[in-house]
Amino acid sequence: MNDSIVALVTQAARRTPEAVAITWRRSTWSYGRLLRASEHVSGALRERGVSRGDRIALLVRNSPHYAALFYGVLGAGCAAVPLNAQERASVLVRQIQHCGARLLFVERDHPEREALCSALADSKVETVAIALDDDGNAYDRFLTELGASAPATAAAPELGDLAMIIYTSGTTGRPKGVMLSHGNLAANTSAIVEYLRLTAADRVLCVLPFHFSYGNSVLNTHLAVGAALVVEDNFAFPNLVLQRMQDERVTGFSGVPSTFALLLGRCNLHDFNLSALRYLTQAGGAMPRPLIERLRSQLPAVELFVMYGQTEATARLTYLPPEALDVKLGSVGLPLKGVEIKVFDSEGAEAAVGTTGEICARGPNVMLGYWADEAATAHALRDGWLHTGDLGHKDADGFLYIDGRAVDMIKVGAFRVSPQEIEEVIAALSDVEEVAVTAVADELLGHAIKAVIVPREGAQLDMRSIKAHCRERLAAYKVPKVVEFARALPRTSSGKIQRYKLA
Amino acid sequence: MTDAVRDQIRAFILENYLFTSDTSALGLDDSLLGRGIVDSTGMLEIIFFIEEQLGVKVKDEEMIPDNLDSVSKIANFVESKRRAA
Repeated sequence: MNDSIVALVTQAARRTPEAVAITWRRSTWSYGRLLRASEHVSGALRERGVSRGDRIALLVRNSPHYAALFYGVLGAGCAAVPLNAQERASVLVRQIQHCGARLLFVERDHPEREALCSALADSKVETVAIALDDDGNAYDRFLTELGASAPATAAAPELGDLAMIIYTSGTTGRPKGVMLSHGNLAANTSAIVEYLRLTAADRVLCVLPFHFSYGNSVLNTHLAVGAALVVEDNFAFPNLVLQRMQDERVTGFSGVPSTFALLLGRCNLHDFNLSALRYLTQAGGAMPRPLIERLRSQLPAVELFVMYGQTEATARLTYLPPEALDVKLGSVGLPLKGVEIKVFDSEGAEAAVGTTGEICARGPNVMLGYWADEAATAHALRDGWLHTGDLGHKDADGFLYIDGRAVDMIKVGAFRVSPQEIEEVIAALSDVEEVAVTAVADELLGHAIKAVIVPREGAQLDMRSIKAHCRERLAAYKVPKVVEFARALPRTSSGKIQRYKLA
Repeated sequence: MTDAVRDQIRAFILENYLFTSDTSALGLDDSLLGRGIVDSTGMLEIIFFIEEQLGVKVKDEEMIPDNLDSVSKIANFVESKRRAA
């Protein structure tokens, strides 16, 4: 039986309390510090009277504080609900209400904090503001802000208990919260640790947000083995990230296709000494082959792991062993240990080799379901299989290839965006008769969002006001890059909008 | 710093990331990243804008917050590059 992620991090902290857990800005937190801080979080929650299973929301950007809060929430027997730090208050409020969060830890300097707190003022949700500082006294101040009179050691959870909810690609009206259990996290963590061969000697540089499944898995897998995380707040200056990779002698780096495009776009990797680098991981959508080839030619000694997964599967479903990259270029590889993957045709039968169908998965990493949404859960989890909504095929050796999406979903960078969410926001404008949203190709992000709008008769709409309206209500990456006006939307004879004709 | 360069930079950021022409929406010293106005791809677009529209080449080692993280910083950087040219 796997240990829970909290138990693994606690064990690592007891083994090597002095070892570096997280380096961030000017501060370094050892495992001992991280454990003490997370026990203060657990203590603070218990003193505030939380019950087992209560949902605790986090609106905190990548930092050691985030890790302490996350493990502290789990250690208190509660479920963590990490919120998308790029999202706007109006969306966040709905998610916090939807999961019935008991308490919200919010970063004091978060741009949406004021709007969020005032929207929650009349609710029962308690908010605790946390300063993300990196000065010499920041750690003690953090413990003071938590307000626990004593730390509390982590309670051992049942592996079937809810550990976290990750909101993903829903709409404002119908948020979609993926429920992951302690068993889900433990199983996915141990399978990833095994194929990446992670040890306490590893140091990974992480630019991926912890509140999404990929970043969450980078956090959990490295801290589970006592490795070090070098946390970088942003990726706006890739040359500084490379400099840090050199200076910190990192052994690993995880990214999505646009991360690697930015890294290779303006920087020459040969200018940096990356001799300690052992592995790269890539997930979050297909990476163009020329990019993979450039990456490999610039870093020939580094193992590149191409991977595939989704939040509903905790994070990871398959990986391509680096030694198979040349012969299976374009494949996302083989199932992780304990995971079974089948491709089903539209009749529900297993598709023949080389034939495209829906990718389905089962294993200990498959989610419990969507929070408070039985219909969506029943749709995704059918006949014992997770229906991923992704189309793909297997080759004769069982290697999986992704061929597209079976359901409407736009992938902007590595973010999944529901076209309905954008349509809902634009349709709220009184001058809009109807609207449809689709994906258009984007050199850097793979896809960008395009909105086609039919204005009401006599209405005056302009592109900028549409974008401004979206930006007020949505994360920046959800704002349509292209806005077009039309007299009508293309429809099938039955009246269904033909999105593919909009691109 | 000339007002013209500064205004051109501010107008570009207002138009493309804040979708307004209201200059009060963006202070000259506001941190573009800190305020969440641009992300990593937005910063790349700003660099393209500096190179293509303002005619100033941005070297790898010049891609740092001190040169690029606010309207004032970008304007100062552009001016100093032009003077050095």
